[in-house]
Amino acid sequence: MKSPFAYRPRPRPLQLASPTAAVAYLGAIVAVAFLYSNPLVLLAAGAAAVTAGLLAGARRAVRVALKMGAALALLIVVVNALVVSRGETVLARLGDWPLFGKVDVTLEAIVAGASGGLRAAVAMIAAAVYSACVDPDRVLRVLRPLAGRSALTATLVSRLVPVTAADAGRLRDAARLRGPGAAEVGKAPLARRLLAGSLDRAVDVAATLELRGYSLDAPKAKNRRSRSRYDRRFYAVAAVVLAAAIAGKAVGADDFQTYPSVEIGLGPGTLAIAVVVALSGFAPWRGRVSSLSPMRRQTRHPEAARV
Amino acid sequence: MSELAIRRGAAPALAVSGLSYAYPHALAPALADVSLEVAPGEFVLLAGRSASGKSTLLKAACGLVPHFHGGEIEGEVRVADLDAIAAGPGELAAAVGYLAQDPETQVVSTTVAAEIELPLEMRGDEPADRARAVEEVALALAIPHLLDRTVDTLSGGELQRVALAAALVTRPRLILLDEPTSQLDPVAGDELIWLLRRLNEEWGVAVLLADHRLERCLAAADRVVAMEHGATSFDGAPAEFLAWSQKADPALETPAARLFSLAGIDPLPTGVREARQTLRGMGIAHPPNRPSRSVSDPHPSHPAPEDVFRSKGLWVELDRGEDLRDVLKGIDLTIRRGECVALMGRNGAGKSTLLRTAAGMHEPVAGKIDVDSVALLTQNPGDYLVRERVGDELPGEEGAAALRVVGLEDKVDADPRDLSGGERQRLALAIALAGRMEGELLPGVVALDEPTRGMDRARKGDLVALIASLAGDVEFVADESTKSTGAAVVVATHDVEFAAEFAERVVLLGDGVVIADGPSAEILSGGWYFATEVARVLDRPGVVTPEQGAAALAEERS
Repeated sequence: MKSPFAYRPRPRPLQLASPTAAVAYLGAIVAVAFLYSNPLVLLAAGAAAVTAGLLAGARRAVRVALKMGAALALLIVVVNALVVSRGETVLARLGDWPLFGKVDVTLEAIVAGASGGLRAAVAMIAAAVYSACVDPDRVLRVLRPLAGRSALTATLVSRLVPVTAADAGRLRDAARLRGPGAAEVGKAPLARRLLAGSLDRAVDVAATLELRGYSLDAPKAKNRRSRSRYDRRFYAVAAVVLAAAIAGKAVGADDFQTYPSVEIGLGPGTLAIAVVVALSGFAPWRGRVSSLSPMRRQTRHPEAARV
Repeated sequence: MSELAIRRGAAPALAVSGLSYAYPHALAPALADVSLEVAPGEFVLLAGRSASGKSTLLKAACGLVPHFHGGEIEGEVRVADLDAIAAGPGELAAAVGYLAQDPETQVVSTTVAAEIELPLEMRGDEPADRARAVEEVALALAIPHLLDRTVDTLSGGELQRVALAAALVTRPRLILLDEPTSQLDPVAGDELIWLLRRLNEEWGVAVLLADHRLERCLAAADRVVAMEHGATSFDGAPAEFLAWSQKADPALETPAARLFSLAGIDPLPTGVREARQTLRGMGIAHPPNRPSRSVSDPHPSHPAPEDVFRSKGLWVELDRGEDLRDVLKGIDLTIRRGECVALMGRNGAGKSTLLRTAAGMHEPVAGKIDVDSVALLTQNPGDYLVRERVGDELPGEEGAAALRVVGLEDKVDADPRDLSGGERQRLALAIALAGRMEGELLPGVVALDEPTRGMDRARKGDLVALIASLAGDVEFVADESTKSTGAAVVVATHDVEFAAEFAERVVLLGDGVVIADGPSAEILSGGWYFATEVARVLDRPGVVTPEQGAAALAEERS
């Protein structure tokens, strides 16, 4: 079964955009999440990431990332509530715990944990949207002239991950199909077998890379100008979001305090930032759909169209 | 020399002279004093049993040997006038393309377009040139519709074509192929061979193809080179090869050639068309077209042993990542103990899914399946082998009994890695059988999924014998019923010649539905693709093997 985060080409603006434009756009949303602690702004950033993913068609990636993000956020809330005893509003006194010492669960610690958890969830959703919508081949093509060895490693790993996952699935199946009279297969022998198989696979993939000319010290290929008509939109939205976030930070729009008591600022500045960030989620909006998909020409042959 | 000059030059596409090679730490050399020349635009078939040195020779021709594998090498290999031993695979990439058996590890990009473009990018081609080359090779291989797909959504046949496109996109003078059809169904396999022939004729690409299914490739070849123990044992025209193999190594004979030699007809045919022409010349008429049979009662009228596999309206749905797909669509099937059944059909028809469902790996979404105990051997026997001693894989009396069934009782102390390919397959089968037997009584069903991948004919013969022993003998008992201590052996296979050898019944699946079910002689003589070479030559109902064909011809001639 294919990973929900695996890239799948779709004729949507986010997939058609150049990797740098897509990274700038999603990076701006993540930057807001790390610049701000105000839950309203964080929620807006989360909403933007979710909307962007849904408009880009990565529904499954968003759904799984939401679940994982919620689980991670909950974990952070629980840990923060147990570890941090600061805050005026004590909700429960749990006494002395081994390792933790005296545990007082406070409302403030829970809210602070929720803020941190929300931040992690936003980053996770944005990463999932990136993974599902940005073509790794195009990213590697951008990376290759800048860091050849890193690009080679990334290529090898990106191919080995699905191959090894498939091998692991086959080994698990074979373990299930062993007769009841055969020796049981523990996790350790299975892991050893998978590792040995992965090394063989890595050699095969590396041989293919050799045959494709990866080891050549050839003149650096000119990269296609992989711009799309959506690039400007994503760059512009990223610039607006970042500028608004920085300006908002400067004028105190990130008004949020957890200790000793919770104070959440909901002033006009904060509301304005939240609105701008939330609206940025609509950047991948496709608008009017032409009957002839622009995808193939834009992604594959921008130069050929001009020849 | 410029690339264009290389391409247009008159130098041989491949010139091997006195080549000897041993892999690191190997006890014996893989190649021993091999000399061979492939002319530009020539189509050469490399024949030989497993481990005869075919793959190593191909790897030497593309630079992987010794550059990638190490080892000791002597002699000379020149590809399009480049010294392949001095130059690495990357430098040779413009002159030679290489396609190996397993397409999974031959793609390194996420999308098809990027995969095909990669060699050009590495070579420093201009973007416009790359775009044009990708488009042209995609059109040549009939895969433009795949360009925007990600590689993990492709079938095995599609993936093989994409890997071939990546190997051809640099317009090499020579393409090397190592059993490219071994994982393909007969339709995709035939298509690939004729695609190679077309590229060979229209683009002038020299082809060096190693394959075990010679009947599929021989008619397309200009020349055959046979290898044995790392050395060339024959080099000549296909017709001469057939005459040579008849005496020197009958395991390399094609079914049509064997048919003619059994019937005492000369010359031996290199393919179906040639065989038919010869027969027409002898006045042996080709029967008129007859409608192909579909589902018929596969079971003879005499009383039969117990049913061990029963499915009724079986539907199975699988998650393919983005969507759920019905893979089996209402399968009704009954198989009896002691039957040998070939499960056939195109890639993706549902063969493996049916076997896995029988083994409890998938749950039906509708209908029911009732199977007595099943031992299933999947496509990669190596997946079952996780320990370093046979006896550790199969301890106790149950393990010993399973080893006896597959004839490996004397290998208890061996390391599975030291066993031959056939023995490893038997060991994996013993692991699947262990504990599923009651005394000497085998489980109801023994299922094998594509067991002949990469096998030469001699090993297939051993497998046929093993299957026959697993199925056991049917005994007629006093109350007019029959009984068998053997299992129903169900084998999913693309190999029609192998199916004709072992199966008494063939179930043909198409898109999750049983489209034909009947005696193998009937099913394998009633179609174009899922028919043996002998059946295609003679087109007589029920005639599928060379022996049957020779008998039929003898009858007609008398």
